[in-house]
Amino acid sequence: MLTSINPTMKALAVLIPALLLAFTFDPLTPFIYLVFTVAVTFLFGKVAFKRWIAMFSPFLLLAGSFAWMTMLHPSDTFSGGDVLFAIWSFQVTSDSFWAGISLGLRSLSFAALSLLFILTTDSTKFMLSLMQQCKLPPKLTFGILAGYRFLPTFRYELQVLRQAHRIRGVGRARGVKERLHQFRRYAIPLFANAIRKAERVALAMESKGFTGETDRTHYHEMTIDKRDWVFVSLFFVMFFVSVLLSYQLGFLNIFGNHF
Amino acid sequence: MTTKWNLREIVLMAILGVVFALIYLFFFTVGTGLTNILTPFGLGPFGYEVIFGIWFIVSIITAYIIRKPGAALISETIAGGVQVLLGSPAGPMLIVSAFIQGLGAEAAFAATKYRNYSRGVLVAAGVGPAISSFIWGLYHSGYIALSLPLLSSMLIVRVISGALIAGLLGKWITEKLADTGVLRSYALGKEWQAKREHKAS
Repeated sequence: MLTSINPTMKALAVLIPALLLAFTFDPLTPFIYLVFTVAVTFLFGKVAFKRWIAMFSPFLLLAGSFAWMTMLHPSDTFSGGDVLFAIWSFQVTSDSFWAGISLGLRSLSFAALSLLFILTTDSTKFMLSLMQQCKLPPKLTFGILAGYRFLPTFRYELQVLRQAHRIRGVGRARGVKERLHQFRRYAIPLFANAIRKAERVALAMESKGFTGETDRTHYHEMTIDKRDWVFVSLFFVMFFVSVLLSYQLGFLNIFGNHF
Repeated sequence: MTTKWNLREIVLMAILGVVFALIYLFFFTVGTGLTNILTPFGLGPFGYEVIFGIWFIVSIITAYIIRKPGAALISETIAGGVQVLLGSPAGPMLIVSAFIQGLGAEAAFAATKYRNYSRGVLVAAGVGPAISSFIWGLYHSGYIALSLPLLSSMLIVRVISGALIAGLLGKWITEKLADTGVLRSYALGKEWQAKREHKAS
């Protein structure tokens, strides 16, 4: 079901709460939102758990790392409260502890929102919808889509370059200096090829009569219907629900101010 | 913004955005690796700070080549958007943060009214997004909860990274590309050729 939501609207639905969540500094609000997002992903998304967890787990580490940094180096606003424990020369207070947990959970809920989008959205449809709903110029849209199609060929080109170098007796690079030199030997020709391709694509588009006018017809019509609006409002309203819940339970904290 | 552009320039910008999206995505993994090493000291996120400049580089390269208003901003936003298409786990928010980084670089070029592309301006265009992305991080990533000494050292590392990796490396790559001759039909390539002819005469 999530795959059939209009991609632009889906992007909005995950962007708005992510922007709003950044106001909160208590652990509960982002946690409620995280649970909500994960629930939506699996209830309506047909997302394989294995794939999801493989993409989500690096974020556990990042969030942990960021939470840990916040605990050790809090700002004055978040360094109050009792000392929970001390490590090396750092003292972790209750305020900084919870701020760290909150920031960690916040980045996890950002990650869950992103995965909800990434795992249920077709990239071509997203571009087409950006062109039709957000009025992205067709010249840009089709340029990007053409470039996107070229990506697999870059790997092939890199292989050809490598083999061409090897057959001419250029060995593997050793040491920093040689590595840098090798970077140049590979990167510059690859970039140059990309630029040549861009030129060829532009010429081909022009010769096929592509003018880039905005009043054109589309093979794939992307539409926004009622369901899309419901979806966006659900994510929007859920933010206020989680804020209200943590307010009721006495956790709510906005930029260090308790409510 | 792109009305005065010809199709060739737009497609070049789009393809540069796509290519660098791939590079950006790769450096995300590099940053994660560095983070793992630094985490025990409570300095994990510095893993990203030292290489942060790489995420601004397409702005400098594209603006240096095409030299039109919007080149830095749009190319960076495209790179952010294409990372989403490629399935970057950072999701649609990347488009917003890329846009903010692009604004930083664009500001440096706009300050010279898009006339000056000297080394100093390119370095400034690497520093600009370092600052704008940091301000964004204060709000969005909650950096505001960190202590002032830590924050200022993060900013300094990011600015240096922006100046070196985005500014100087970006300039170097672009000039090496101009040497190959593939940029002949763009602003930088024309300037390059004029210089070469001047030298030859």
